[in-house]
Amino acid sequence: MPDLTELVRRAQHGDEGAFRDLYREHVGRIYALCLRLTGDAAAAEERTQDAFIRAWERLRTFRGESAFATWLHRLAVNVVLMERRGSGRRERRVAPASDDPVYEQAATPPAVPPGEGLDLEQAIAALPAGAREVFVLFDVEGYSHEEIARMCGIAVGTSKAQLFRARRLLREMLER
Amino acid sequence: MNDREHDAEFAKLLEETRRLPRSIEPPRDLWPDIAARIGRPPLWQRWSALAAAAVVLLVVGWRVLGARHPGWEVTRVDGAPRIGRTALVGGGTGTLRVGEAIVTDDSSRAEVQVGVIGRVEVLPGSELRLVAARPDAHRLALARGTIYAEVTAPPRLFVVETPSATAVDLGCAYTLAVDSTGASRLHVTAGYVELQGSGRRSIVPLGAIAVTRRGGGGPGTPYVDDAPAELRRALTAFDFERGGAAAVRTVLRTARAEDAVTLWHLVSRVEPPLRAAVYDRLVALVPPPTGEGGGTSRAAALALDTTTLDRYWQRIRRIQWRREILKGIREIDPRTGLAK
Repeated sequence: MPDLTELVRRAQHGDEGAFRDLYREHVGRIYALCLRLTGDAAAAEERTQDAFIRAWERLRTFRGESAFATWLHRLAVNVVLMERRGSGRRERRVAPASDDPVYEQAATPPAVPPGEGLDLEQAIAALPAGAREVFVLFDVEGYSHEEIARMCGIAVGTSKAQLFRARRLLREMLER
Repeated sequence: MNDREHDAEFAKLLEETRRLPRSIEPPRDLWPDIAARIGRPPLWQRWSALAAAAVVLLVVGWRVLGARHPGWEVTRVDGAPRIGRTALVGGGTGTLRVGEAIVTDDSSRAEVQVGVIGRVEVLPGSELRLVAARPDAHRLALARGTIYAEVTAPPRLFVVETPSATAVDLGCAYTLAVDSTGASRLHVTAGYVELQGSGRRSIVPLGAIAVTRRGGGGPGTPYVDDAPAELRRALTAFDFERGGAAAVRTVLRTARAEDAVTLWHLVSRVEPPLRAAVYDRLVALVPPPTGEGGGTSRAAALALDTTTLDRYWQRIRRIQWRREILKGIREIDPRTGLAK
């Protein structure tokens, strides 16, 4: 397979085969990201497709100032966040720092039989959407609170509060 | 299990989180669906045809429809935002037509679809009027309150007026707030925005802020959102309180390499006697592009030669972009933009 730079260049000139190779190279990483951000396998498939379609449409704006994987990753995060913001599920959106009972109710801790370890992926998926997004972006993907705040359109303090909330909920699941 | 064991187990859980597999193959091959959807030429290849079609439609549309007012769709997000006297309730949507305003109270929010180029979220306590809704001009006026805008159009197609300045989109996302005095605060979260007013302009890049006061002589000098508090105070004094040379000297003393965006703007804003000091401080913090540091180029910069300053700006802009976009991923040297 040609190197990534060459694949990107060809894809930028409309070579669908090159873009397919880029897809094969990156789909696992993008699907994992979408799966954890959405907590839903079907939604993750849709967002993964959306991310690659968006990438195809915006390839010309990629100028190689970052790695293609980084660019694609960021684009996928935006696709997931934008979809949720635009889908009418705003009542579950990241709340102002105060506690939101509705928000808390959204968490449905998975039943973990005594003596068995917690399924981490399952537990993350069970977090409320806003808390899950911040947790995944911060603890799994390594973004900073400032970056998360920008991407999610929230305050840095809110991002920190959501991370605290997510960790607390995970801890509660652990203690069940 | 006691508290210590819980803490240890939770720490282990977080550690496991960081070791989760970076890649998970989807349960089925998604490519066929993607291929079907990208079968058309990519958006940028269709742009010319779309633009031509849009122009034709525009001309024909205006002739056929005459004075009929175009509008943008508004969706209620929270509370009961109003378009004119009509409140949007429930899952309500409405159309914001040219000349009309959407008003949100303290508990209302709405989202405006900006034609096909983006969207604007209208936050509580805002009044936003649609000034123009044409393919070649998308213009809003924010009288008060806060909006969050995301636009994917080519530069300069989307404009928001405020009582104290005009924000011209250069391909970006930003938050713009106007308070009861007409002062505005712009925070850019993607791309760039040009802020214009009273014959002055500020280019505000990703991660930077610019404030403007009514009657304040145009947009204030932009600063990055992690700029030192003392620098911000000095900028306010310089921009709006006749702080003069003393304020500029404070800016120069407190500026870091990360504040090059501010110093670059100041080069052309300070009085000539101070210009050399500002330029030299900028050069010391962020070296200019190769070949730009010599005497001739310095002279050109001090003479406010557009080409020279623009070349320097491109370097500063790129460093700021890398610093922001790679924050938390790589540590970037603010002098060069390269990873440390």
